[in-house]
Amino acid sequence: MARIKTLGYLLLLLGLLGCQPAPVELSPELSKVVTTTGMIADAVINIAGDSLSVEALMGPGVDPHLYKATQGDLKKLREADIIFYNGLLLEGKMGEVLDKLGRLKPVIAVGEAIDTSFLLASSRYPNAYDPHVWFDVKLWQQVVQSISYTLQEIDPGNATYYQANTTEYLSQLDSLHQWVTIQLAKVPEKQRVLITAHDAFAYFGRAYQIEVRGLQGLSTVTEFGLKDITDLVQFIIDRNIKAVFIETSISERSIKAVVEGCRQRGHQVIIGGSLFSDALGDYQTPEGTYIGMVNANVITITKALQ
Amino acid sequence: MDAFWIILAGLLVAIPCGLLGCYLILRNMAMVGDAISHAVLPGIVIAFFVSGSREPVSMLLGAGILGIITTFIIEFFHAKARLQTDAAIGVTFTWLFALGVILISVFAGKVDLDQDCVLYGEIAYVPIDLWITSSGKIMGPRVIYIMGVVFLVVLSFILVGYKELFLTTFDPAFAAASGIYISVWHYLLMGAVSFTTVGAFESVGAILVVAFLIVPPATAYLLTDNFKKMMIITAILGFMVSFGGYYLAVWLDGSIAGAMTVVAGLLFGIVFVRQLAGRRMSYGL
Repeated sequence: MARIKTLGYLLLLLGLLGCQPAPVELSPELSKVVTTTGMIADAVINIAGDSLSVEALMGPGVDPHLYKATQGDLKKLREADIIFYNGLLLEGKMGEVLDKLGRLKPVIAVGEAIDTSFLLASSRYPNAYDPHVWFDVKLWQQVVQSISYTLQEIDPGNATYYQANTTEYLSQLDSLHQWVTIQLAKVPEKQRVLITAHDAFAYFGRAYQIEVRGLQGLSTVTEFGLKDITDLVQFIIDRNIKAVFIETSISERSIKAVVEGCRQRGHQVIIGGSLFSDALGDYQTPEGTYIGMVNANVITITKALQ
Repeated sequence: MDAFWIILAGLLVAIPCGLLGCYLILRNMAMVGDAISHAVLPGIVIAFFVSGSREPVSMLLGAGILGIITTFIIEFFHAKARLQTDAAIGVTFTWLFALGVILISVFAGKVDLDQDCVLYGEIAYVPIDLWITSSGKIMGPRVIYIMGVVFLVVLSFILVGYKELFLTTFDPAFAAASGIYISVWHYLLMGAVSFTTVGAFESVGAILVVAFLIVPPATAYLLTDNFKKMMIITAILGFMVSFGGYYLAVWLDGSIAGAMTVVAGLLFGIVFVRQLAGRRMSYGL
């Protein structure tokens, strides 16, 4: 096996030496898919059914910004026939390594497959995109379709099967999108504000007309300032907002300070519940899938804000 | 093959860090590695402002420059203000880190920018983080080259400057009397420390570097009074830690850097307990 691999690398090397664009290797035995986040793994499972083994490196409740690799991850990445990751620096330094691995085997940054005109960039740094693309169901459909095209290209024998599953799944996502839009429209516009600890919900806010306020920036080292809290407390009182939210992968300490600040000024605001932001829920629970996660988030949000 | 590269990478970090660490703990500056790991933050932020991107070369450059500035400020406070080294380290790295946090929150709030995201490497990925030339030739793991260069530079620095470093560490007054420029050698040592740590942060992450700088030299310090022997024991411990840590991580399927650090701590614990027991026996307790 090792010899076959060496031979494969040598052949690939020869091909590269010939100054040709590296072709994505066509392997008749595509079987192992490795992804970074659970959201991407869920998309692949919906496209490929049981025909491929799919594994996510980051389990439930893991903050991808702070993920630490284990010894076993290396083996999984080595044995994978194809690797999907989010990209746009969601995985930090790990993305760089994966990008390089892309010269040896198919490695795809699914977030970077989206046309940049759909992405939200920092106003000051147009090249720094917000990586949390999965919260806009329409945008996620683009990702699902591009994952499907990649699988079809690499495993053309099963292309029709993949596309049939994809079409079916995309229509499920269509109804999900409509459902989310309807549910959130029920919340009075003035109170349609999502307050969380860090800025993960910008795409969600844009897609479903919700104002999003975060205490922290995108990076998890910048601590929130006192002024951030006072401003946010004032904002909550002015708009008469009923609830703020915590996230499964981020500490709830900061958001509790806001609740306390409101209470001191005589405004009752509750913690509306915990939202899934950067990771799916536990395996075998409804929240362990993408659709389940979006469902759970939307129910939590509408219940608390109405 | 993966095991070989990871253990080799661990060793190439352990030896230069450990050898420099021998000097650091004898100069009461052991925490300087940890200080640098925090103090590089403003360097990363400024490098981002200047280059407008988070690509690795500019991040490394920004971090490297700040690493050197950090050690210089520490030494400056220590020499000119007669501040204790630990206080000088504490003052320097806290305000530099805070400066970085403020720069991020004021100017880069919408950009994910911190050491974890853009600087710290991961030892688990050493075997797949390959150096591939533009013609497509695979040259092997990139980190091995980087840390190999760091290893050779540090080793030759210590071999060339052994006498001066030894004297300025143990007997600065005598060193000064024999015409050695104490502060020049101090700055050279600190320059080597920041060069090594920043390179190693980028290769294998922060915790492992801080551990290798302190724990093996501290263990060796318990075992011998002879400085040369201390350095040799440190190197041997570095090997034991890389090797044992890797297989502990395999066994647990856990973080490799974490497992190596745990092994380093265990070795220190064993030596410490043995010493304690030995001393009690010699006192007849």
